[in-house]
Amino acid sequence: MLLEEIKSVLSFAAFRPDVDDADIPWAKRFEGRKSLLINIGRNQTSWKAVDKKGRLEDGGVQEGEFADIAPQRAEEWRGMTDNGWCSISVNHRFIISLESNMMRGENCISLLRSNPRAVLGPKFDRGKRYAISHHPEAATSMLLAVEDSMVKVTEDVLKTIGLRPARVCCGLFAMMEHTVQNLAGDGRNSAPSSFVLIASCEGSIAALCQQDGQWKDFRCRSGLGMEMVETTLQIVSPLVAKAPPGTPVFYVSDGQDEKFRSELMQHLEKVGARDLTEPDLLWQIVGTY
Amino acid sequence: MSDYLCHDFKSPRADASRRLPNSFRFIPITFYLSIVAGIYFVTMDILSLRQAEKDRVTAEQLRKEHEETKAKLDSEKLMVDIEHAKAEHVAKWVEGTRVLQPICVEAARAIRGEVRIAELVLDRNVELPAQIDISMRLTGADSSHISMVENAFGKLNYRPYSPQQARTQGMIDYRSTLVFINE
Repeated sequence: MLLEEIKSVLSFAAFRPDVDDADIPWAKRFEGRKSLLINIGRNQTSWKAVDKKGRLEDGGVQEGEFADIAPQRAEEWRGMTDNGWCSISVNHRFIISLESNMMRGENCISLLRSNPRAVLGPKFDRGKRYAISHHPEAATSMLLAVEDSMVKVTEDVLKTIGLRPARVCCGLFAMMEHTVQNLAGDGRNSAPSSFVLIASCEGSIAALCQQDGQWKDFRCRSGLGMEMVETTLQIVSPLVAKAPPGTPVFYVSDGQDEKFRSELMQHLEKVGARDLTEPDLLWQIVGTY
Repeated sequence: MSDYLCHDFKSPRADASRRLPNSFRFIPITFYLSIVAGIYFVTMDILSLRQAEKDRVTAEQLRKEHEETKAKLDSEKLMVDIEHAKAEHVAKWVEGTRVLQPICVEAARAIRGEVRIAELVLDRNVELPAQIDISMRLTGADSSHISMVENAFGKLNYRPYSPQQARTQGMIDYRSTLVFINE
């Protein structure tokens, strides 16, 4: 143990952030190291390798339950990462809601991981894990609640195949957070005070409506099946209909299901929706930030 | 890159270690600097050692040359010392004969005419330095010449004791013991 510590000091590893340090962006944690990004949907799992220079490399998609897919792909996945570390993005069995007057502060995010009851108060549920994203100016927040048992099962499956999760996140929530921050913080263009943002990721969909700089409504469904476009339209339509005329509509997807994306955009283009999707957007977000 | 940080709800790891502060980087840096400095000094020491060994071989060679030269000079000095010792002996002998020189001179002055001194031997006894044995061979001389020589010795306060003369084929062998009379 002492030898390992000495080695880590002499190799400067002791000064680098731990690979599972949630306070450090992924790209910085894995500087000069390969990592693996796994995105788990209800009926499908996709993955992408990140090379030592942080560039996205080979990936793949396989349909089926994650518990069935993982043992089949174990060897391939282990070869894609250094020391078995990977990032997990779960996209089912979660719910995102809009909350008001949540606790804010610098340590709020880490406190939510270690003692969620202290942050959430009566909203806390023992069977859930949480993440939160605050509106930068208003008192509203997006609160993500994921099934704790599902996260534990996923972690156990990874453990059995020799992989270690350095991060477990929700891809859809990450895309929402990232896009909202981009819309608000793009210095070149003035931030729109009202917009409807629709995001889809691996069979899950979320829609956020902002009016006059306030988050007003939020709809979310995870683990949609084959009738995804119809369901998405049913979720999104009321939000778009309620928004004042001329409210910009943005759409962002993980960039993997081109068929779903083109079908949905056919409908959204009727209300002037703008597609903000970039190639491998999900992988770029979870593999960089 | 924006300051966005992706959320994380992973189960916390029990064996997570705290990251060391950046100021502690001086420890491995110092370690590596020490290694580099050590390698530098060892290399320099090895180079110096090799140079020193070369210098030592050169010095050994030089020492041998000097020793050979010294031995040569010592043998020359020994020869000179021997010569010097011989010269000292000669000088001492010359110094020792200083007392006898007046006797030789007086004997030579006392001889006149056709008379020649064929041989003159003066022998001083170490036990009795006041006595000198004289042996002289004269050619063409007679008794008067012997008397003249004895008179000359008398001027130097030497008295002949037990003089003997022998004549052989025109030569007179004269032997006597001169005794110094201190008046």
